[in-house]
Amino acid sequence: MINELIYVYCIAINPPGLIDELKSRGLKSISIDEFNVLIKNVPENEFSEENLRLHIADLHWLEANVREHINVIGIIMGYTPVIPFKFGTIFNSLEGLEKFVADYSGSLLENFELISGKEEWAVKIYCDRKALSKHIDELSEPAATLEKQIMASSPGKAFLLQRKKADLIENEMDRICKECGQSYFNELTVLSGATHLNNLLPKEVTGRDDTMLLNAAFLVGKDKVTDFKDMTTKLGSREVNSAFSVELTGPWPPFSFISINEKTQ
Amino acid sequence: MNENVIDRSRDITILEVLDRVLNKGVILTGDIVISVADVDLVYLGVKLMLSSVETMEQLKSGKH
Repeated sequence: MINELIYVYCIAINPPGLIDELKSRGLKSISIDEFNVLIKNVPENEFSEENLRLHIADLHWLEANVREHINVIGIIMGYTPVIPFKFGTIFNSLEGLEKFVADYSGSLLENFELISGKEEWAVKIYCDRKALSKHIDELSEPAATLEKQIMASSPGKAFLLQRKKADLIENEMDRICKECGQSYFNELTVLSGATHLNNLLPKEVTGRDDTMLLNAAFLVGKDKVTDFKDMTTKLGSREVNSAFSVELTGPWPPFSFISINEKTQ
Repeated sequence: MNENVIDRSRDITILEVLDRVLNKGVILTGDIVISVADVDLVYLGVKLMLSSVETMEQLKSGKH
């Protein structure tokens, strides 16, 4: 007999039965206490610890499976609140899964309470530093003052001051980016129940020419989602900040707001 | 059913998805589970970018 493992996608409360689409993809919804756990039996030759490690290094395998993971959770999320699991969480046995649910039932209920009626939205803010530097004299008083000095100086002195200004511009742009990111974050925080800051991603990863200055997740009440979206549009189109762009994606399963993490315990 | 981001996931980059699913959600360790070790998103992202550039090049050279 082939030994099968249990891949867990998410936990839901009272899902409206398992939709055919998921059934045909081999998924099962099993009841444990008051919870419903979305699982799939997976073969050891693909998902044992050793095989999983090998597969992760294969980008095609990783992409296909990661998309499957989030796709399944997304479908369930359309019907009922879900607690998503980190990609690639596999139980060795049903007993182990049952023990987890029993041990963590209080914590699971707390998490459900936190996320129900809310959606996770992700906001990334980017700055086009080239565009920003063109407007620096309008946005920075020290830069404008120095520019006036340059205009009034002899060519030799102007040359030295230009070099000084180049450094000043970099520092001023850092300051403006920080202030802008913080003010956008504050405006959006007012409309959300919880926030989570993610790591900034470098240009080699985003593939964009502009610089990421905020990568945040917001837990937004369903009644506030329209306001939240409107606010991101408003922030993204502020005239004085044409160098900044705001990217909004969602609703996501509430990955960023689940507080069941054995690594930190 | 409301439309969510997953319905439009073709438009969402794999990086955006990885940013959510790799190190967030319910995170378990210990004897009862097998789980993916921490993966550095930046490292993976660079690998993905390189591989997508390669794929693009292959597509281009295949078409022309």
